[in-house]
Amino acid sequence: MKEKVLTEHFGLENLYKIDVYQKQGGYRATEKALKKMKPEEILDEVKKANLRGRGGAGFPAGVKWSFVPDTDKPKYLCVNADEGEPGTFKDRYIMSHNPHMLLEGIIITSFCVGIHVAFIYIRGEYEAIALRLEQAISEAYAKGFLGKNILESGFDLDVFVHRGAGAYICGEETALLESLEGKRGNPRLKPPFPASVGLWQCPTVINNVETISNISHIILNGAEWFVKKGLPKDGGTRIFSVSGMVKNPGIYELPLGTSLKDIIFKHAGGMKGGKKLKAVIPGGMSAPILTADEINIKMDFDSLVEANSMLGSAAIIVIDDKTSILDVLKVVTKFYSHESCGQCTPCRIGNSWINKIVKRIADGKGKKEDIDSILRLASNIEGNTLCPLGDAAAMPILSITKKFRKELESHL
Amino acid sequence: MIKIFMDEEPVEVEEGTTVLKAAERAGIHIPHLCYHPAFPPEGSCRMCLVEIEGFPKLELACSTVVKEDMKISTKSARVVEARKAVLEFLLAEHPLDCPICDKAGDCKLQDYYDEYGLFESQFKEAKEKREKKLKIGKTLILDQERCILCTRCVRFLKEVTKTQELGVFHRGVHSSVNIYDGAAVVNNYTGNLAEICPVGAITDEDFRFKIRSWFLEEGESICPLCSRGCNILIEYHPGFPRFNVPKRVYRIKARENPEVNGFWLCDRGRYGYSYLDEGRADQIILNKIEGENVLTWENISEYLGKKIKSLSSAKKASGIALILHTWLSNEELFLLHEIFKKDLQVEKIFFADLPQGEGDEYLLTSEPSPNRRGAREIGFDIKTVDLDAMADGTDFLLAFGPFLSGLFSLKDLKDALSKIKRKVLFSSYSDEMNSLFDIVIPVALIAEKEGSLTNVDGIVQGFQPALEPPGESLPEWKVLADLGKELEMDARFYSEFPSPEKILTEMGKKIPFFKKKND
Amino acid sequence: MSLEFSEKAKKKIAEIVARYPQKEAALLPVLHVTQREFGFISAVQEKMVARVLGIKPIRVRELVTFYTMLSRQSLGKYHIQVCTNLSCSLLGAGNFVDYLVEKLGIKPGETTPDKKFTLSTVECLGACERAPCMMINFNYYGDMDPKKVDEILDGLK
Repeated sequence: MKEKVLTEHFGLENLYKIDVYQKQGGYRATEKALKKMKPEEILDEVKKANLRGRGGAGFPAGVKWSFVPDTDKPKYLCVNADEGEPGTFKDRYIMSHNPHMLLEGIIITSFCVGIHVAFIYIRGEYEAIALRLEQAISEAYAKGFLGKNILESGFDLDVFVHRGAGAYICGEETALLESLEGKRGNPRLKPPFPASVGLWQCPTVINNVETISNISHIILNGAEWFVKKGLPKDGGTRIFSVSGMVKNPGIYELPLGTSLKDIIFKHAGGMKGGKKLKAVIPGGMSAPILTADEINIKMDFDSLVEANSMLGSAAIIVIDDKTSILDVLKVVTKFYSHESCGQCTPCRIGNSWINKIVKRIADGKGKKEDIDSILRLASNIEGNTLCPLGDAAAMPILSITKKFRKELESHL
Repeated sequence: MIKIFMDEEPVEVEEGTTVLKAAERAGIHIPHLCYHPAFPPEGSCRMCLVEIEGFPKLELACSTVVKEDMKISTKSARVVEARKAVLEFLLAEHPLDCPICDKAGDCKLQDYYDEYGLFESQFKEAKEKREKKLKIGKTLILDQERCILCTRCVRFLKEVTKTQELGVFHRGVHSSVNIYDGAAVVNNYTGNLAEICPVGAITDEDFRFKIRSWFLEEGESICPLCSRGCNILIEYHPGFPRFNVPKRVYRIKARENPEVNGFWLCDRGRYGYSYLDEGRADQIILNKIEGENVLTWENISEYLGKKIKSLSSAKKASGIALILHTWLSNEELFLLHEIFKKDLQVEKIFFADLPQGEGDEYLLTSEPSPNRRGAREIGFDIKTVDLDAMADGTDFLLAFGPFLSGLFSLKDLKDALSKIKRKVLFSSYSDEMNSLFDIVIPVALIAEKEGSLTNVDGIVQGFQPALEPPGESLPEWKVLADLGKELEMDARFYSEFPSPEKILTEMGKKIPFFKKKND
Repeated sequence: MSLEFSEKAKKKIAEIVARYPQKEAALLPVLHVTQREFGFISAVQEKMVARVLGIKPIRVRELVTFYTMLSRQSLGKYHIQVCTNLSCSLLGAGNFVDYLVEKLGIKPGETTPDKKFTLSTVECLGACERAPCMMINFNYYGDMDPKKVDEILDGLK
């Protein structure tokens, strides 16, 4: 693809410095938005662009923003930079290579919704990135892109970086809010949704880093341009995080709808070390696994749902035929069992129970009924939990166990 | 009001009602563990999942608000399957403690397993091990293995007492409720924790291992230990004293009353129930009367009436003294007021109560008796006992209650009472001072009779007997009602043996405060 | 023992608290400062933090035991955190851990007797394209093999 959207200038040295960024046309979108557009116009543009959330859920950003009510309460923006979905590392690249692109998105989004305080909730492990973000923020303040009366528009905005401390669940939007408020990352009941009751009971917009990073491009080039970069219902590109047994793991910004097979074999160089492909996880660990026969699929939201999987965080993990599926399952069940916040019954106990069974099988003490038990328990978790982590656990466990049943049974 | 369909039956409920409450109104109990009406819905146990037409997933009954025409199924196959699934998860990591757990018989987990489960355990792994006997409060013990993490206890201490002694540590299946480094739960409401715990995770040493809950029966009453008038449930063994059980009353539980005590009891009222059983007087005792017929309940009012009638009119007013207390019901205080203050014009009316205490900022009041307000509204001037003034020129003393012995030394009482010719005591308790009286009549406690009390805020609360009065004890109001008849007062009222209900109605006619208070 | 935050830490804490409309929100960032300062967060530090923010110490411990990056015990000078999630496992994280166990003589969760290294296994670090990877304190290292590990560890003073 000739013209990328997000990773256009990633090769440039010091792109994270504001001078370099501005030389590439940075902050023009902000000027356009704040000086020449009205908030309603910005919202309209974002809606027309069909920008769907890039964190995992894929909810249309413009629609989410429109849920924020008219109120005297302060409104907040939380940028979800927790990036905990295994296999995902795209936001790390965005924030370390082009933090100002994210900041522009934050400014325009806040201006559109009427937000004056924004937090970037970044996972604790990304300390170096957090420092880089803070530096970029200082630069932006110094040049008047943040703070009071930005570009003489009368619009005020403060942005703060808030670091997490090692909890995958804090990537779930309501758990993120709880964590930001200084509590344990226990997700909240929905409804009410954060757009009406969020941080400190005030309306809050929560969007992923990549989602927000697209905003300045939409404003500068228009919704139509953005839609053309992708599909009619899903505008724009995706940054695919490709890892596992491929020759060239890394980020690949490609249009929505690119074939999974092409991503693996054309862009990422194919299988590493001459190995054969056994399975692919297409959208982060929580996405149901695809077998080698199922990779002829378009990487967009709807195509993957049709294939009983999901695009999720667009993180592609390639598994080779020398890898035991039992080992994969072990990693998966250990992860969800460890990351469960413990609040609700099915996830807390179900994930640990399944993990215990899988560990026992891996120790050579598997029993005949174990596979059915795993399927039964995972089905009992699915749909019955307080937050999506339960489904995020159940779906891969079910898909791996169902699709590779024979191989798992061979371990009993 | 909006109409919804609960298991295909139409139900009308107010807007804003949750599915759980709407089901209750339709007589359907949706199983739940973490939900408690005192707190906003928590949504973590997942027991209350129900099927709602138009919703793809099962939804929580505790937090979903009904909408017009909503069609809810509380028993569909899908719902039952989900319930079984949640139960199975809970029981998988739950210790098999029923044989040694106090909560057995009173345990939601057991009840739901009985109703929806009865399956063999499929859990073949090692259960999580945690602390089983963690002392977390004055009388509270936490068993972390039994805990189902409903967090009712944590929320109670956050929202009600605001003391936050409990928290949840660690994450996932390792989550456990705990205190902070030995910082015990210390406040006047700790007993509520054992009550709201749906399983046997928090147990109370006051009750621990003493009796099985299914041997107990419940009676409704009102706590008399301060003037709040908290509504209580008295759990007692109905076989006592015939059966070989050490006590009658085993436990006090809270009864919900949004106007008075909400859902709670203070520890003073909850644990201070020894007054119901200990040191009770149960027989009429005649100390120094010769030549009198044996006194029984049948002729006691006749005896008193005769004694009073024998005094000249002048002597009636000046020669009678009354020592009352404010554990007496509205009806009893009213009869006393009518007979002695208004009719006989007795001036020497005193009150002997427990000494003033210290209230807290929530339920416990500083008045350590339940009916001071009632006494005032009826028209009594609550004078404390002045022994000399009381005994001066008194021929006939009617004393009520055991509280004199707490206010004066035996010697002082003896001196004062020796000046009085005839002294009758109505008391529920055996005490040294009883020997100073000629006649001691055992009377029932509030838990053992019918009547009403007026609490500190002026709320009149009726009560029915929860327990049997011991031995020969009977309520004061019966004697007083008979006495009124004996003294030929107001024939219209007294001739037709007035029940406390009728007395309260009469009070409503005569005293504006009690006008609309009839139950 | 009465412990105090350094002046630098106090300043940072004041700056953090000023960001939020409610003081409690500063808890997690302040815990990061605390762990930086003391190396761990024990009951002593919990009470210090509680005092600064006007909350109960139990609320602090709830967080310290919830978030994996906060440690109740003192850690070695270098905390080696090896990712054992999927991509890293596919590319040999298991062997990588075994190599470290042998080299350092400790198991995951333990600290070397000279208190120089603590070894832990962690979940996805978000650097899967450089699997197998590890984080030492807050520095990321990817594309690990025994030779690289030796170079890195031997270079740490």
